[in-house]
Amino acid sequence: MRVLIVEDERRLAENVARSLREGAGYAVDCCFNGEDGLYMAENNPYDLLILDLMIPKLDGRTLLTRLRSQAARFPVLILTARDEKESVVALLNAGADDYLCKPFDLGELMARSKALIRRGKGQTAAVLKVADIEISTADLTVRRGGKPVPLTAMEYRVLEYLAHRPGAVVSKTELLEHLYDFNWERFSNVIEVYISGLRRKLEHGDTKLIHTLRGQGYMLRA
Amino acid sequence: MRTHSIAQRLIAAVVVSQLLLAIGLFFVTVYFTHRQLLAAFDTELEGRAMSIAALVHYSEEEHPTLEFQQDMVPPSLERGHADLYQVFDQNGKAIAQSNKWPSLSLPPAARAAYANFEWNGESYRALRLKSVPVLDREAGTPASDFLTVTYASPTSPVIRTVARLRLYIAGGCVLLLCVTVPLAIWGLRRGLRPLEDLAANAALISTSNWELNPGAEAMATRELLSLTQAMTSMLQGLHRAFTQQREFLANAAHELKTPVAILKSTVQSLLQRPRSSEEYRAGLEQCLEDMARLEKLLHSMLRLARAEQWAAGSLQRDLADIDLRSTCDAAVDSIRPLAHQRGVQIEVSSNGPIPVRADPEDLELVWINLLENAVRFTPPSSSVRVLVGSDPQHGVVEIADSGPGIPEHELPLIFERFHRGDASRARDTGGYGLGLSIAKAVIEAYGGTIIPKSEAGVGTRMIVSIPKQS
Repeated sequence: MRVLIVEDERRLAENVARSLREGAGYAVDCCFNGEDGLYMAENNPYDLLILDLMIPKLDGRTLLTRLRSQAARFPVLILTARDEKESVVALLNAGADDYLCKPFDLGELMARSKALIRRGKGQTAAVLKVADIEISTADLTVRRGGKPVPLTAMEYRVLEYLAHRPGAVVSKTELLEHLYDFNWERFSNVIEVYISGLRRKLEHGDTKLIHTLRGQGYMLRA
Repeated sequence: MRTHSIAQRLIAAVVVSQLLLAIGLFFVTVYFTHRQLLAAFDTELEGRAMSIAALVHYSEEEHPTLEFQQDMVPPSLERGHADLYQVFDQNGKAIAQSNKWPSLSLPPAARAAYANFEWNGESYRALRLKSVPVLDREAGTPASDFLTVTYASPTSPVIRTVARLRLYIAGGCVLLLCVTVPLAIWGLRRGLRPLEDLAANAALISTSNWELNPGAEAMATRELLSLTQAMTSMLQGLHRAFTQQREFLANAAHELKTPVAILKSTVQSLLQRPRSSEEYRAGLEQCLEDMARLEKLLHSMLRLARAEQWAAGSLQRDLADIDLRSTCDAAVDSIRPLAHQRGVQIEVSSNGPIPVRADPEDLELVWINLLENAVRFTPPSSSVRVLVGSDPQHGVVEIADSGPGIPEHELPLIFERFHRGDASRARDTGGYGLGLSIAKAVIEAYGGTIIPKSEAGVGTRMIVSIPKQS
């Protein structure tokens, strides 16, 4: 999953980014003003936007309205220092999905982020199930038939992304775009390495879980 | 504290004064009627005495002697109580005397003398007339015959009348009091009602309702009008101050949220998973930095609150006579490191000392705040100019930057608390949008003004003038 944080307080943005990288295994990009934020949001496929309202150059409200008018579909979590009812209602009506008041709890921010991403992809449960595999997004663990399966961090990210869209064809490019942040060099062959690792650890005998559709991508299906 | 009621006091005063009035009226009336009756009694006595004297006549003899017609004596004034009389001629020979006669001592000299005496268990008043001529005077009768007539009558009729009168007047007074006292009480209660209404309406004032609705009756009462007006203007002042305080508090709380959020997120992300001691150390240092920012914000807010409090006149201070230039020089010295770091020059020009009465620390703070802004907005290798001058009444300091200028529509907003022209620029250097508010509050506390002038692409000039010490 890839998250964009638009927040002019660098320290706060960095703390949130670090926390999402370490605690949720997300790829995170940070922007410190509205213009950069809009550019990044328009040109990258994010799974979640965390947006501060009081940001320079282009305020959060305008950014949100612009993005929604361009039919951007990713969920938006607003960070605000104001908690008056009117402004919250106005924000939700402008297309925000959720909001958090400063000073917020990083644990809560992470849980809300996960829930928003889940819902954005049509999922409801925090534990994703495909066949006998259970992926717990709360503590980033995977079980198969009740037994824990040790995965590397990147393997988990690939599996989590695929599990959020079961039965859908996910291209290599899509995976690359959603698993790495802006500063990362992307090589498509690494994806094949993670997929083969996942297959080795999850598939036994004839049961195929991760299907390869030549020239199109991968699909997770029981 | 013991409370008392205006109504009760006024009622007590009215009742007491009415009572005194009634008592006074009673005594005056009784006294005058008594005197009036006595005077009438005395006139009556004189008439009686004269009519007794008229009964003395000369006998039909050759040498006439004085005789008295006993059978013609008029009946007593008071039935059952005999009047007393005595008639003498000028030689002291008794001519006539009532059946009973007490021994009387009357002042001998006066022509007419009254005397009161007790006789037979009865109060009497007597009149003695001297030198009364004999009415029955004919030719041949001695011209020198004069009579001395004494007449006494019981005073009981007068005393009875006075007693009866006293009773009537007292009864009248009590009746009058019975009517006027309740009337006065009712009138007072009625008159004080607008005051009670006003108090009831004033009790409705609260932090959510600042509108005093005095009611039509209180508005129409002249005595209450000034009170109502005073209350209304006091409420307006309080409301203004209350709103200001609440806004400041809301702004302050709002501004505190961000630094607190940063501090909290730093600690929480540090605690997210086990870390090496180097990482903890780095995290703690970050916390310290975050706290320093928080501290700076708190300091600024307190400074602003104090300056405004002082401007409002509730804080007394000791001021000294100082030179305006020296405060500017001190401020420029302390801002130079920042300017140097940004590659900005500061040029100061001044001529002659400008005496002002102020606390140098206050003025230095103002210049530092203005200079900090100027240095921030000035591009590297340009300069900030400080001009210290004066006009006849004021010392004038002008701080000019060569930055991008402030848009016309933002000029009125720059002194607002927590306002940031462009948040990113302020945040870059850790500003909170309080510097200009503090500068304005301090300068206004000294009775000065601070006027921003800006031109796009040329720069912004802050012109500060404060009253000179003459």
